[in-house]
Amino acid sequence: MEKDISGPAIRLSSLGLRFFLNVEKEIDLRREGIRVFRALMTRTRKSEFWALRDIDLEIPKGEIFGIIGGNGAGKSTLLKLIAGIFPPTRGTIAVDGTIAPLIELGAAFNPDLTGAENIFLTGSIYRIPRRVIKENFERIVEFSGLRRFIDTPVKNYSSGMFIRLAFSTIIFFRPEIVLIDEVFSVGDEVFQQKSFEKILSFQERGATIVLVSHDLNLIGRICRRALVLSRGRTAFLGPAEEAIDRYHELLRRGEGLDAGNGARSTAGADESGPAPLADSRRWGNRRVEIRRVSFVDRDGHPAAAFAPGDYFEARIHYISKLPSGERPIFGAAIHTAYKMLIYGPNTLEGGPPEDRILPASGIVRFIIPALPLFRGDYLFSASAYDPSLSQAYDHHDMMYQFRVLDGPTREFGCVRIQSRWDFEGD
Amino acid sequence: MKRASPIRELFDYRDFLLNLTVAELKLRYRDSLLGFLWTVLNPLFYLLILSAVFSLIIRFQVPDYPIFLFSGLVSWLMIQQTVTIATASVVNNQAFLRKVYVPKLAFPVSNVLARYTDHLILVLILLVFLAVRGAPFTWSLAFLPVAVAMHFFFSLGLSLLCAVAYIKIRDTQHVVAIVFQALFYATPVLYPLSLVPDRYRALFRWNPFSYFVEMLRYPVYEGRFPPGRLVLTAAGLSLAVFVLGLWTFLRKDKYFVFHLS
Repeated sequence: MEKDISGPAIRLSSLGLRFFLNVEKEIDLRREGIRVFRALMTRTRKSEFWALRDIDLEIPKGEIFGIIGGNGAGKSTLLKLIAGIFPPTRGTIAVDGTIAPLIELGAAFNPDLTGAENIFLTGSIYRIPRRVIKENFERIVEFSGLRRFIDTPVKNYSSGMFIRLAFSTIIFFRPEIVLIDEVFSVGDEVFQQKSFEKILSFQERGATIVLVSHDLNLIGRICRRALVLSRGRTAFLGPAEEAIDRYHELLRRGEGLDAGNGARSTAGADESGPAPLADSRRWGNRRVEIRRVSFVDRDGHPAAAFAPGDYFEARIHYISKLPSGERPIFGAAIHTAYKMLIYGPNTLEGGPPEDRILPASGIVRFIIPALPLFRGDYLFSASAYDPSLSQAYDHHDMMYQFRVLDGPTREFGCVRIQSRWDFEGD
Repeated sequence: MKRASPIRELFDYRDFLLNLTVAELKLRYRDSLLGFLWTVLNPLFYLLILSAVFSLIIRFQVPDYPIFLFSGLVSWLMIQQTVTIATASVVNNQAFLRKVYVPKLAFPVSNVLARYTDHLILVLILLVFLAVRGAPFTWSLAFLPVAVAMHFFFSLGLSLLCAVAYIKIRDTQHVVAIVFQALFYATPVLYPLSLVPDRYRALFRWNPFSYFVEMLRYPVYEGRFPPGRLVLTAAGLSLAVFVLGLWTFLRKDKYFVFHLS
């Protein structure tokens, strides 16, 4: 395949995207009538929100480009603009080549169709000729490892199977531009590795890859350049290593960890507010309510980022409606950004002594004297359960986030395990 | 982003359009015993009930009433069923819209195409019905493809308009259902225009649906080509509604994503 190497694959100039915050999801005529009437009377402007602003960017063909930034900084939105899902409010987007957005994999699947039918449907979304899909069909099925289930409706698939099929389908059509949004966070390790190699092999063939990830190690390892987004604007654009440093700088200044749509940090605006109301990450009967969780450093100051070996404290603010004498079991859990559980202790082990009465409201402090974690993003869960651990009072699943910045270390991985080396002759 | 002409773009996505249409047809009957047969049975039972009520109980003095009724009913169903279902076509596919780029036009168009596959079967049943009743097949039946094409563009245009309205205001679906219910009785499907008192006639002249009913009733029931003036009116109506629908839809389609939850 011949490629024109000269022009950029993606060119964004003074790109902006504005949302109106009060665009209601469901409108009924009565409310709409009142709104129109009010608008006529008061002439107030809708409150607007710029998800992205003044983004200028050129990505040459064949580059692996990284996008980093805190939650809500606009990373995923930027990918969706490039993919053509959102129309830009300002500026222009020029894309040269076929795009395969691996943004929300399998989102375009029809759950009632079988795996095989969805392969053809997905292919047609990317305008792959039917003939080409047929030719590749066997290889797609092989790569996904789902041969037994290929004639089963995908609604019966597990989420892992779903992702595997979606990824395998898209990946076989040799896209020229691949947009990736944290797709490696799902599926099993073997498949992740397999997919990752597949994507890198595209780049060797000249494809352009735009990668959004919380995994700074990954960005640093494979990207040449990266864009740091902060509140919808360009904070830095340049060599990946430098971008990561700039990003850490932002974090130290407490920026970039805005409360976003996904995990929440406890820094800044979120600090005083009550815990977010029910969503899929929160469950329980609220007989004990966890109102919020904050992270603090040794001096008791709120912190969102820590260094390996630092003092770490999570403060779980609660209100208990239990009769006095009954005591809930509090739990905490730390996960990697890929949602893998690292450690999940609770107050049954090492908690305060049995005879101490729990105040009706207060703070439970979870303390790690020397944080054994390395550079990366971590998700934090907090929960309150009944003494048999069978009834959730309140469970906040991975709703909080903190970051570990790199310290001086020659070790690798995400957690330090107590260990030592020894030598012995024969 | 530079955008090819929307029609050209839809052509580029023809495989997608086809897949959507086929999925729509396939999935409807996947777990049912009689399957595709329902496409035939449903209108037949409807016809049976209506013709029993109006020829045995309320006796309209119309010769060959079942054929009269069936021809009108086919015209009515071709528009009513299409628009009622296609109104939600974009909203029902919001998973697509929010996660990949596809031409939005594909959703209502595939929906309408699927309906017209059903409708073609309906027209075939109408012809079989004619044969069974021993009605003569005349040359005027050659007008049927033209009549169906007019219905197609008219209902596609209406579908596009309703789909746009539905994205912004979810009450649309209920309004559409009620309006169609009222129109059913204001359109000469069950009874001939000649039974309508003179002072209400004007109402029927302003009802676009009555022109489409005539497009089928002339060749099927009366065995002659519809008069030129009627044909032009119906053709003009279907073209106008189609263009208006297409224009409205394409003017708004890139903002749909902001209105979906």
